[in-house]
Amino acid sequence: MTIKAPFELEKISSDEYILNMGPQHPSTHGVLRIILKLDGETVRDIYPDIGYIHSSVEKICENRKYEMITPFTDRLDYLSAVNYNLAYVMAVEKLLGVQVPERAEYMRVMLAELNRIMSHLMWFAAYGMDMGALTPIIYAFREREEIIDIMEGMTGGRMIHHALRIGGFKYDLQKDFMERLKKFLSHIDDRVDEYEALLINNIIFTARTKGMGILPKDMAINYGVTGPSLRGSDCAYDLRRNAPYSIYPKFDFKVCTGRNGDTWDRSKVRMDEIRESARILRQAMDGIPSGDIMAKVPRIIKPAPGEYYSKVECARGEFGAYIVSDGTEKPYRIKFRSPSFSNLSVIREITIGTKIADVIAIMGSLDLVIPEIDR
Amino acid sequence: MTHTELLEKLQAKHRITESKEDLGVLNAAVGAGAFKSVIKTLKEELGYTQLNFVTAIDWPANNNIEVIYRLYNYDTNSDAVIRVKLDRTKPEIATISDIFSTANWHERETAEMFGITFLGHPDPNRLILPDGVIAPLRKDYKDAAMIPLPKA
Amino acid sequence: MDLLKDILYNTDKPWNQFYGWAHAGWANWGWPPFILDIIFQLCFAVIIAVVLILNALWIIYYDRKIAALFQIRKGPNRVGPLGLFQTIADTVKLLIKEDINPKAVDLAVFFLAPVFIFIPTFMVMLVIPFGRGLIPADLNIGILYVMAITGLSVIGILMAGWGSNSKYSLIGGLRSAVQLVSYEIPMMLVILTIVMMSGTLSMGGIVQAQAGYKWFWLPQIVGFILFLIAGNAEVNRAPFDLPEAESELVAGFNTEYSAMKFAFFYLAEYVNLFITSAIAATLFLGGWEGPLLPPVVWFFIKTYFVVTLLMWIRWTFPRLRVDHLMEFSWKYLIPIALLNMVVTAFVIKLV
Repeated sequence: MTIKAPFELEKISSDEYILNMGPQHPSTHGVLRIILKLDGETVRDIYPDIGYIHSSVEKICENRKYEMITPFTDRLDYLSAVNYNLAYVMAVEKLLGVQVPERAEYMRVMLAELNRIMSHLMWFAAYGMDMGALTPIIYAFREREEIIDIMEGMTGGRMIHHALRIGGFKYDLQKDFMERLKKFLSHIDDRVDEYEALLINNIIFTARTKGMGILPKDMAINYGVTGPSLRGSDCAYDLRRNAPYSIYPKFDFKVCTGRNGDTWDRSKVRMDEIRESARILRQAMDGIPSGDIMAKVPRIIKPAPGEYYSKVECARGEFGAYIVSDGTEKPYRIKFRSPSFSNLSVIREITIGTKIADVIAIMGSLDLVIPEIDR
Repeated sequence: MTHTELLEKLQAKHRITESKEDLGVLNAAVGAGAFKSVIKTLKEELGYTQLNFVTAIDWPANNNIEVIYRLYNYDTNSDAVIRVKLDRTKPEIATISDIFSTANWHERETAEMFGITFLGHPDPNRLILPDGVIAPLRKDYKDAAMIPLPKA
Repeated sequence: MDLLKDILYNTDKPWNQFYGWAHAGWANWGWPPFILDIIFQLCFAVIIAVVLILNALWIIYYDRKIAALFQIRKGPNRVGPLGLFQTIADTVKLLIKEDINPKAVDLAVFFLAPVFIFIPTFMVMLVIPFGRGLIPADLNIGILYVMAITGLSVIGILMAGWGSNSKYSLIGGLRSAVQLVSYEIPMMLVILTIVMMSGTLSMGGIVQAQAGYKWFWLPQIVGFILFLIAGNAEVNRAPFDLPEAESELVAGFNTEYSAMKFAFFYLAEYVNLFITSAIAATLFLGGWEGPLLPPVVWFFIKTYFVVTLLMWIRWTFPRLRVDHLMEFSWKYLIPIALLNMVVTAFVIKLV
């Protein structure tokens, strides 16, 4: 691929050189290529090049029936499959005018929150690696493994859980789901404290992240940054609170925010969110009613012509599924608005003038998942 | 702010060709000449500070391509959708990346997926697709790799 | 029995006897005595090489087990009893792997770099006092020699960085040079303080000066901590592993290396770790001195205590950034080390 602006060769002075970071690089978390113009170790310019694993999901979806599309959505982001399913499923349900039973809504919220914890733990693990600490990854995977086991029992999948159906669930919670969840929730808060002591409050970590990659609130909004990366910039915007979906209004939770919008704040917000997700899970465990898990959905899904955009707060930010129906059993057009796509686009603003190591730190703090950027 | 109030405020300044309320969201179609000032008004005066996404829909039957801008207001938690119809044979539209920085990437994606030219775009390179793949999200796109779904 | 006891506890006595006896016998043959000395030195070299390699193999296994302990996992436990042969298996694997030379490398420099890294580690062993009289050569400038030789290994890393003709390697090599220059100074200042206290540059002499359990770590606790920090930085291990910084520079200076050439870097890292710990044990923990057990055992116990400390640090901390690294050395370590030296000088003068 030819890269023209802003890396024209004549614009590179004799002090500068170009470093091609990726597409195969330990810290780009997948196949992301970042072209850096460096002066020594100082970043003079940065140009992300995405699209290495573009899988053309939007085009594929145009040729699939509505119920066949759900598995595609959880493959977009291997870390928050349930949230992605949820956005799509809710859009179709809205188009169909289906009311999902309350128990199914509770189950959805529980799975979504478990998924969020899992994703944030994965972020913590990978971020430790990015920062050169090799131990956090194992610690975080200990908890993540528990969640994966719970999810595996529930959905059959360890990473790309495909549990949600249009209208609710096919299968109810497995028998020991509550027990295992309770066991998990009993120690997650302590473990998060431990992780904060190990990495987030570590003196080297704070020295490297505080005041680094400051993302001002207005710039974040201008670039469409969402999720923990936006909340780190002191913007209490959480779709679960601001544009409630499913049964989130029933739960009491705090929207965690940072103050300065630096890399450390973004990290801290994620750790706090694990605690809040655990709180939601506890409330959901207490409040889950018994009853149906599947709404009455027509056998052949043929929504009336129209369009609907449904958005959820996934672990990385706002994920939206925009569906245009033309009245047939296949969607006319589907657009997935993925959070990391917008989150990554801001990187040029916040990394210029930093060091190579900071590029990794800042990129990691945005919590990128490459398949959802490329879609 | 309700949908009608918003529409009135917009209509006071701009010509909205057609509009409807779609599940509580203002959905307004605007001419290609006026849309930029509409979006500017929405951002600067009405508080729609976030651009959720830019995309397009190909309508070969009507021989046009609709470019869709979805905006969001943090204060009122409301969305607004601006649609601009373009000629399918030569789709050209002004960029809004000077208003919303995030539009830069979204427009680049839309441009290569639908073959739309965003006039005045600061970085009109390809973003996702490799060279040589032209407008795959158009309905009439054909590729040797595309195999029709087998009949069940 | 007495002989065995002497060999274990008081090695120089039987050695001197044997040396005298051998030379007497040699004189009967009528050949010049320096040839016998050369033969002895060659034997020493072979013994050191064997000890070095075996120790490196063991220390790699030990590091992995310690890492496993900190990371709540089991570590190597498949090859051999308790996974003891894991490193041997790894070494054999690296030996029989294809040796890939990328097209663009500067072959001579690329080939020589692992050699230049490994040889200094080998040479430093010459002056390490493993036990009473168990020192290959007690040079009267021992500690100076150590500093001079360990400083050489950076040339190897720079060569690897330059010869690989890869930007990641080059950055890694340059980082290493910068790091070594900055951390050599506080280390030197600390060693100078120790030399002031012991009044000798010889490694054996420094151990002698601490005889009677007057180990230097207590009066020189600041120096000991500074030495551990600087020493950790010298061996390029986390949190000072900037030259290889895998999340930033892929693998830093050894990005392009494979097979046995890579194994040399890998072994050298661990041998360097051992040497730094051994020097720390010699300078601060009284070397081989200790009750009951033979001196050589005490030496290894103390060395491995320091090794474990450094591993603990490695598996806990995230990596420093390159400018923080510089700041840390020039703004904190060097002033503290200087102050420490001045205070020590006053105390020595007064007492």
